[in-house]
Amino acid sequence: MPQSDLALAPLQEWMQAVVTHPSDVYEAADAAEIAVDDVILPSRTLQPIQRVGIYHGMYMLRMIEALTVDYAAVAQFLGEHAFEHLVRDYVQQFPSRSYTFNRLGDSFPEYIASSSLKRRNFLHDLAVLELAMTLVFDEAEAEPLPADAIASIAPEQVADARIIPIPALRLLALDYDANEAFQAFREERPMKARRQKSWLAVHRRDYGVYRMPLTREAFVFLEALVARQTIGSAIETFHRRFRRFPAQSDLFTWFRDWSAAGLFTAIEVE
Amino acid sequence: MNRFNFPDLGIGVGLRTVHFSHILGSQPDVDWFEALSENYMDTGGRPRYVLEKVAEQYPIVLHGVSLSIGGTDPLDFDYLRKLKSLARAVNARWISDHLCWTGVSGRNVHDLLPMPYNAESLRHTAERVRIVSDFLETPLVVENPSSYVEFATSTMTEWDFLASLAEESDCGLLLDVNNIYVSSFNHSFDPNVYVDAMPADRVVQVHLAGHQNHGTHIIDTHNDFVIDEVWKLYGRACARTGDVSTLLEWDADIPDFPTVHAEARKASAFRSAGSRESGVGGRKAAELRPPTPDSRPYSEGPYAAV
Repeated sequence: MPQSDLALAPLQEWMQAVVTHPSDVYEAADAAEIAVDDVILPSRTLQPIQRVGIYHGMYMLRMIEALTVDYAAVAQFLGEHAFEHLVRDYVQQFPSRSYTFNRLGDSFPEYIASSSLKRRNFLHDLAVLELAMTLVFDEAEAEPLPADAIASIAPEQVADARIIPIPALRLLALDYDANEAFQAFREERPMKARRQKSWLAVHRRDYGVYRMPLTREAFVFLEALVARQTIGSAIETFHRRFRRFPAQSDLFTWFRDWSAAGLFTAIEVE
Repeated sequence: MNRFNFPDLGIGVGLRTVHFSHILGSQPDVDWFEALSENYMDTGGRPRYVLEKVAEQYPIVLHGVSLSIGGTDPLDFDYLRKLKSLARAVNARWISDHLCWTGVSGRNVHDLLPMPYNAESLRHTAERVRIVSDFLETPLVVENPSSYVEFATSTMTEWDFLASLAEESDCGLLLDVNNIYVSSFNHSFDPNVYVDAMPADRVVQVHLAGHQNHGTHIIDTHNDFVIDEVWKLYGRACARTGDVSTLLEWDADIPDFPTVHAEARKASAFRSAGSRESGVGGRKAAELRPPTPDSRPYSEGPYAAV
């Protein structure tokens, strides 16, 4: 019987359940509480199930397309079939709850880590890198400090100075060399899941996104600065970690390179 | 002129990422641009920078896909606040979205899902349009959707529903003549009847686009040139509305900007000359910042490779 009195809210719940069902539209229809023929009218060429099937088919294509854009290297490494399967499962657990597609993939790295995929630890790191690039791409813009700003801090104020990072900066500590794998992807070379601790600053400059490899020492120091520690406290953090102070030459090089890359936007002196 | 005194902006083109560099670099002689609201609301990156630069040179209209004006979830006022803020930042001439719903129970399907057309859904949608218009402090402009299903609960035609919605909520209309054609094929109605039923004084804007005909049905893909039948519908609409802001959408398999612009300019054959809002569009003396690479979403730094 046609559901001529089906109210708007249950109709929308019904249609969403059919459209987003992970199997094909026929299984979706079987799982629905109301028969498709009772809700959808036929056209001169298509049966109701075929008509709602258009929306069902397009839903998963959109999810796959959106996550392929955000996780292009992961998609390439896995191959089309495996990636689509992964997305199909992922959106069941983490469906979009935002008005923008930009948030759809936020839980993708952790989902990969908890999956049974081969190479999941490598793929997790690669996804973490790609997510950081997406987040940095969209972050708020901030004017970087002039290259000589840090050098101009009065010597007696250096220890108490805080260097404020730009919003478009993410620091990553990875178990795999995901940066090299991503570079290989960009250059259309085979990606290798090489297990190797690596540290990375992903940042934006002049609206371009960059990946800056760091040494472990540089990462620890920069991480402390990004956590809003003063330069003096960051040096103490470094000392606690490595049981030595950072070399003067290293500090000089780091601040020079990071300033040139535009990683900082302000200096606060207590 | 429509009853809201929204100006005739002339012939515009949808602002798309693949054209950013061309637009900033060559400042094409386009009357206006339409930007997809959600692409610019949550970013401080290059898309937002480009939109604000373009807005310095051209009139901007914001066009949304996630308002879910027909949805039964509560309206998302966080979304509306961001939309209003963006509209002010780029001096949007008006704000439009679709007669549709996009998800319920907190989910977003990211599709323009069709409405049943009956008294309950009309009452529900009209109330939400009024709330949104009040919040945005400008009449919402509502676009007719393309659709692939018809509901057993519908008791009126889409054109009667849309006309009633416009009257009851005092909203503007964005008449997508390609959507009318697509739906007329899929649901076997006369598209001319639809166009003739629209309250002309509420039509603020017209959309044009291409589609894919699968024989048994048409999908609204925005990936091709506008077909002759749709141009005829456009001409019929213009005969009723007079010159009206017109925009070409091209969202997939997007060709280079001159090709898209040339397709849009075909609309001028249906318009009287020199009638658009004066002083808008085209090149101005101010220099735009040199374009940065845009062929890929991310550019490589000198230290990109280990």
